[in-house]
Amino acid sequence: MEANLEVAVAVIKQLMKTIKFIFLFVFATSLQAQEDDNVYKKKVLDQTEVKLLTSYYSQDGDNASVSGGLGSEELTHIASAIVVSIPLNEDDVLTIDANISAYTSASSSNIDPFDGNQPADPFVASSGASRQDVWTNANVSYTHSSDDRNFIWAGNVSFANEYDYSSIGFGGSLTKLFNEKNTEIGLKANIYLDQWSPQYPIELRNGIGKSSLAKDDSKDFNLDNYTIVGNQTYNTSFSNFETLNRNSYSLGFNVSQILSQRLQTVFLADVVYQEGLLSTPHQRIYFGDIEDSFIENFQLANDVERLPDTRTKIAIGNRSSFYINENFIIRSYYRYYTDDWGINSHTAKLEVPIKIGTNFTFYPMYRFYTQTKADDFYLYNEALSTSEFYTSDYDLAAYDAHQYGLGFKYYDPLGQFNLSYLRLKSIDFEFNAYERTNLNFTANIFSLGFNFTLDK
Amino acid sequence: MKINILKIGVLLLLLASCKSVKEYEKIQLNDPDMSLSERDLDRYKSAFQSYREAAAGANGGKSGGGCGCN
Repeated sequence: MEANLEVAVAVIKQLMKTIKFIFLFVFATSLQAQEDDNVYKKKVLDQTEVKLLTSYYSQDGDNASVSGGLGSEELTHIASAIVVSIPLNEDDVLTIDANISAYTSASSSNIDPFDGNQPADPFVASSGASRQDVWTNANVSYTHSSDDRNFIWAGNVSFANEYDYSSIGFGGSLTKLFNEKNTEIGLKANIYLDQWSPQYPIELRNGIGKSSLAKDDSKDFNLDNYTIVGNQTYNTSFSNFETLNRNSYSLGFNVSQILSQRLQTVFLADVVYQEGLLSTPHQRIYFGDIEDSFIENFQLANDVERLPDTRTKIAIGNRSSFYINENFIIRSYYRYYTDDWGINSHTAKLEVPIKIGTNFTFYPMYRFYTQTKADDFYLYNEALSTSEFYTSDYDLAAYDAHQYGLGFKYYDPLGQFNLSYLRLKSIDFEFNAYERTNLNFTANIFSLGFNFTLDK
Repeated sequence: MKINILKIGVLLLLLASCKSVKEYEKIQLNDPDMSLSERDLDRYKSAFQSYREAAAGANGGKSGGGCGCN
C-alpha cells in the first residue's frame, strides 16, 4: 500500500514537471511569435485550396468471404470527397476532408440470401437491405509551421460511420527539417477507436431455427419454413462476439533525404497494434469435418470467422523520385510488410510521369503485390471445427496481384478557367486495372479530381 | 541483428555524407511530380487495396483502423 502511494506520488511529481515544461515551452513559443510579429513571412499556403475528388470502383471474383469463400464478389463502389485547406495566418493551415461513398455488393447481400425472389445461391445477389451501404467520413487537421519552416506539428481528428461500423480517430505528427532542408525526419501517431454493430448471417441470428428479424428487412426468418437438404439436423455451436470494439494504435516514422539536384528518397516505417474484434462478423465458415446443410443452393453457415483479438503489423517502405529531364520523371515505391498473423508481403510500384508541354502530363504505372496466407486461413469448406481460429476470407489467402494504370493531368498554372470564385489549377483523371493471378479476382477503378484555388 | 544495425548505420552515414543542395538548386526537386508523397487520387487506390490486401502502411497514409477492412 505504502509502495503504491510512493509510486503515485512519483508519477504525480513527474506529471507536474511535464506540465510545467509544456507551459514554459508554449510561453516561450508565444514570446518568440510576438517578437517576430513585424517580420515578413511568406505564407505556408497562399490561398484557400479546394479539391473535388471522385472515383468509381468495380470488382468481381468467385471467392466471396460472406459465403465462406465460394460465391460472387461482384461489387460497385462510388466515392466522392471535398478537401478544403484554409490558411489561417502565415503559419497555420486548417484542412477539412469530407468523404461520402456508397456501394452495392452481391457478397454482402447474401448475409440474408433468402429474399424469395429466386432460389438462394452464393453466386446470385439477394435483394436484401445488406446489398448496399453508405459510408461517411470527415477528417479535420491543423498544421503549424515554425517561422523558419524547419519545424512542423500537426493534429487531426476523424469520424467515420457506416451501417455496421463506426470509428473515431485522433493523432498528431512532428516534422523536423535540417541540413538546409535537405533532410527531413517525421514522427506520427494515430489512435482509432472503432465499434462494430454485427450483422451475423441470417441463419445464425437469435439461435438456430428460431424466428429472427433480418438486419433492417421487415420480415421474419425461420428455418422451419425451409427444406434443408444434406445434413438435415442443422445445428451449430455459434455464439455472438462478446467484444465489439476494435482499437488501433499506430506509430509512424519517416526520413527523407535529397541526394542530388535530381534525386530524392524517403524511408517510411509504420508499426500498428490492433486489439478487439478483428474478425468480420458476417463472414461465414464451413467446416470440413461437419456434413453440409443447404437451403436451395445456399450452404448454411457452421460458424463465422474467428480470428485472434490482437494483431501487430510492421511495414517498412521506400519511395524515390528521379528527375530524368523536363519530359520524364521516375517514381518508385517498395514496401515490405509482416504481421503476427503469419502474413508477409512485398509491394513494388513504378510510375513514369511523362510531361507533354507545360500543361499535360501522363502517368503510366505498374504495381506488383504478393502476400503469403494468414496462419488461420482455410480454403472453402476446409476449416476444422476443432480449431480455435479460422477464416475463409480470400483477402487473407496467398496470392500475387498485378495492377496497371494510366493517369492524365491537365495543369493550368495561370488559372484561366473559373467556376464562380473557384480558379482551376488542375484536372486529374486515372484508370487502374487490378487482377490476382492465382485467384479469379479482377477490379477496375476510375478516378477524377479537380483542384481549385479560392479567389477572395 | 548486429548486421541490421550496421546496415542502418552505413545508410545513415551515406545519407549524412550527401552534398547539400541549395534552395536555388531545387528547381527540379520542386516539380510537383517529384513529390515523395502520394498523389491526390491515390487515396482511392489505397482504400480498395486496404480492403483487398492484408498489407497496409509505410505509404505515408493510413496504416490501420478507421474501417472494417484488413
